[in-house]
Amino acid sequence: MMLRAVFCVGLLAIVGAAQEPDGATSLPAVPAVVVQNPFQPFDRAKFDAAAKALGASDAQLAAFTSSSAELGLARAADDLLRSLAPSFDAAVRKHEQGDPEAAVALAQVLAETKAPLLRAHVRYHLARLFLDSDDPENALTVLGEYVQHDINVSPLDAEAAFFYAQALADMPLPDMALPRFRAFLQWFPDASERFRAAAHQRMGEIERQQESRLHDLANGMKKTTRDLRKQRTGKPTQLDQEKYLEELQQLIEEFQERENQGSGPASGLGPSSNPASESALPEGEGTVGNLEKRTTLADRWGDMKDADRERIAAKVQNGLPPQYKKMLEDYYKKLGKAGTRQ
Amino acid sequence: MLHFLQKRVNDDTKSHDALPAEQRSGDAASAKSSALSKKQGRVEDLMRRLAEKLGKENDTEGGR
Repeated sequence: MMLRAVFCVGLLAIVGAAQEPDGATSLPAVPAVVVQNPFQPFDRAKFDAAAKALGASDAQLAAFTSSSAELGLARAADDLLRSLAPSFDAAVRKHEQGDPEAAVALAQVLAETKAPLLRAHVRYHLARLFLDSDDPENALTVLGEYVQHDINVSPLDAEAAFFYAQALADMPLPDMALPRFRAFLQWFPDASERFRAAAHQRMGEIERQQESRLHDLANGMKKTTRDLRKQRTGKPTQLDQEKYLEELQQLIEEFQERENQGSGPASGLGPSSNPASESALPEGEGTVGNLEKRTTLADRWGDMKDADRERIAAKVQNGLPPQYKKMLEDYYKKLGKAGTRQ
Repeated sequence: MLHFLQKRVNDDTKSHDALPAEQRSGDAASAKSSALSKKQGRVEDLMRRLAEKLGKENDTEGGR
């Protein structure tokens, strides 16, 4: 329990520290909390002792040494554990063959063993099985147990930390997944390049998606898709669905309002196929209401005190997602240009 | 379009949930919730594609 708590607190602290260099907020600087990494470097002697307790011979440990150079520590350790525990090997084989019995077979091995090394590997495979079955909630539970009970005994720790973050991302809980991917990269610099590259990629995807309300909406719908598959059709699911409808309605209204204001296509709906050579109003008397409206807005912007315009500009710069920030920057720039022509 | 599709999934979910308990169990109910899940998944997929499309267009405009 203690280790798990440290794991979570540490990851939260990393988030805070990572936000500081941006200078994106006007909040006073907060000193970063010292992060305690619960994971220790792989301890070969400890691993050997644990493997011997499971019956490993010197020859098997020597074979582990040579195969780890070729396959990597995690895979070599898993192969060794499979050779030491036939029931575990059989359960993993079922998973590899897509046998539905694999989950229960792994759970049985888990229930029967008290050896942390074997438990770590069983939990890892069980979590992978859940992830492969699009069941990140259960994967998260199993990996949480791994972090709570089984870390620092197997070279699988790095992969377990990666898949913990992956499970959160698949839920999807992007706000929680991001700091955990970050922690994985920070705490496991020697992890397989395949996992490190995947972590970078997922972080990039999450960061892009966090800037978008549409992605937020899609994330929620993904969770509801899974809920419905689990026959959760009750009030909580229905309330989530109602929220999506309200959010969609709100987005539609906002887009329409922006288009009516003449501030260009809403949220990147695309440039005009026939743009004017410059943004000046055509010469002559305006007879359409919209033209009058645009002039009035420009008038108001021009009539404002500098301090009020600066206050609005600061709001645009601080706290808005980049795409809306760019949209509003362009909008006020356009208003300013129109105002100077009066 | 998305609004319409989501509304339809919401209505179907409510209808299914309003069935008597005995009709909400068994293979038929399982197939029904699986169908509901697929419909919700299609709305999610469309929403994701729209988000990606708008994101790309915003990136393009931002780079000009």
